[in-house]
Amino acid sequence: SMALNLTINTSNVPLGALLAAEHVKGSVQLSVEEGKDTRLQVSEYFNDANSISRYLARVAPALGLYGANMMEQTEVDHWLEFSARRLCGQPGLTEALGELDLALSLRTFLVGHALTLADLSVWAALKGHEEWPSQGKSFSHVNRWFSFLSSQVPFTSVGNKYTSKKS
Amino acid sequence: MSMYQNGEVDPAVKALEARQDEIMRKLYELKAAVEGLAKTVTTPDADLDLTVSSSLSSQSFSSTTLKGTTDLDTLLGKDQGALRDIVVNANPAQPPLTLLVLHSLLSQRYRVLSTVHVHSSVSNVPPQLLSCLGPRHADSYARHMFQLGFTLIWKDVPKLEMKFSIQNMCPIKGEASVARFLFKLLAPYPSDPALATLVDSWVDTAFFQLAEGSAKERATVLRALNSALGRNPWLAGPEFSLADIACYCCVLQSGSMSSAPTNVQRWLKSCENLGHFGPAKLLLQ
Repeated sequence: SMALNLTINTSNVPLGALLAAEHVKGSVQLSVEEGKDTRLQVSEYFNDANSISRYLARVAPALGLYGANMMEQTEVDHWLEFSARRLCGQPGLTEALGELDLALSLRTFLVGHALTLADLSVWAALKGHEEWPSQGKSFSHVNRWFSFLSSQVPFTSVGNKYTSKKS
Repeated sequence: MSMYQNGEVDPAVKALEARQDEIMRKLYELKAAVEGLAKTVTTPDADLDLTVSSSLSSQSFSSTTLKGTTDLDTLLGKDQGALRDIVVNANPAQPPLTLLVLHSLLSQRYRVLSTVHVHSSVSNVPPQLLSCLGPRHADSYARHMFQLGFTLIWKDVPKLEMKFSIQNMCPIKGEASVARFLFKLLAPYPSDPALATLVDSWVDTAFFQLAEGSAKERATVLRALNSALGRNPWLAGPEFSLADIACYCCVLQSGSMSSAPTNVQRWLKSCENLGHFGPAKLLLQ
């Protein structure tokens, strides 16, 4: 099949999409390069993090990044919107973290029993959020989940490479 | 003759008991069905229900418009006996137009028990919002006669939310995610990953740029719509999809109907010709 090419804007790194790219690399041919604008060239092109993530999850269905059934897909959609609308530079972070903490109180992963786009996009939004480190202590479930993911590849590599660049 | 031998129940008696249980179960079902029928004949609402359901089925939105068959057990897991109830909390200040269109489509596909409630957090809900899911069924209507419940609660919520299968699913917030869920009950997404993602991308554009964006953002989206609709009859290609429902409703909501460019105007008419957009349009008048 055709090789995919993801270009990322390094001054505004789409961490979630980059994580999705790292996860599907073993399943599809994909190259990542740095450029002026973030875009994934397919027949059309996608230039927002959620569309890129959705597409990558769909070309590697065996990884289950979009959930195992229709209800899990809907939860993934919910968290994709949550991370883009509630966690990315929006006011009201404390309230959003409260909701997230409640959702994670009985769960290891946000949706189902395995890693999905929900974990990738929410983790990425927090990782890139200036206020997260100071707020982390107040939300024990989010903190546990965040550390658990942070200790794994490719979260470590993507996190180290691009968040240091951002500051 | 003793029914019991050495404390064991005679297998023949066991079989008889099982048959009797089965007959009782069938009788119970029959009784419930007859009660349901009796209600449609004797209640004043019955005529109204009949008129509406026949007008719905006569609409031109044929099954060929949405390709592929869907089965609720396959999609949602085996029915556990209770009615699958979709509960939506929506703010009357932002009526969820896409959900009304999807509700109309669902009602054509499934037997849907639709109910509208008003939560104590809001007052003075306009009458058209109370009747937006069609005439109300009598309360005693047997729930087991329906495949799906659709319960809309007008409530002072900052963001629309859906609760469904609450043991397994977190509450789903945002009209876009709920619309994706409802649409999947009607038709599968395209199997091509790029087309499926194109649908989702238009849905995001509709809700976040058309409905909530600045005048400049709206104008940009209208140009993008116009160019996509110059290449294809529908937004995601040859097939009508959720992209069309979401964009139609958000163009309507943003008041851009009359100022829309040519291809968009033509496509708006095509959408309207399918039926099902009437309730959304009425609500904004």
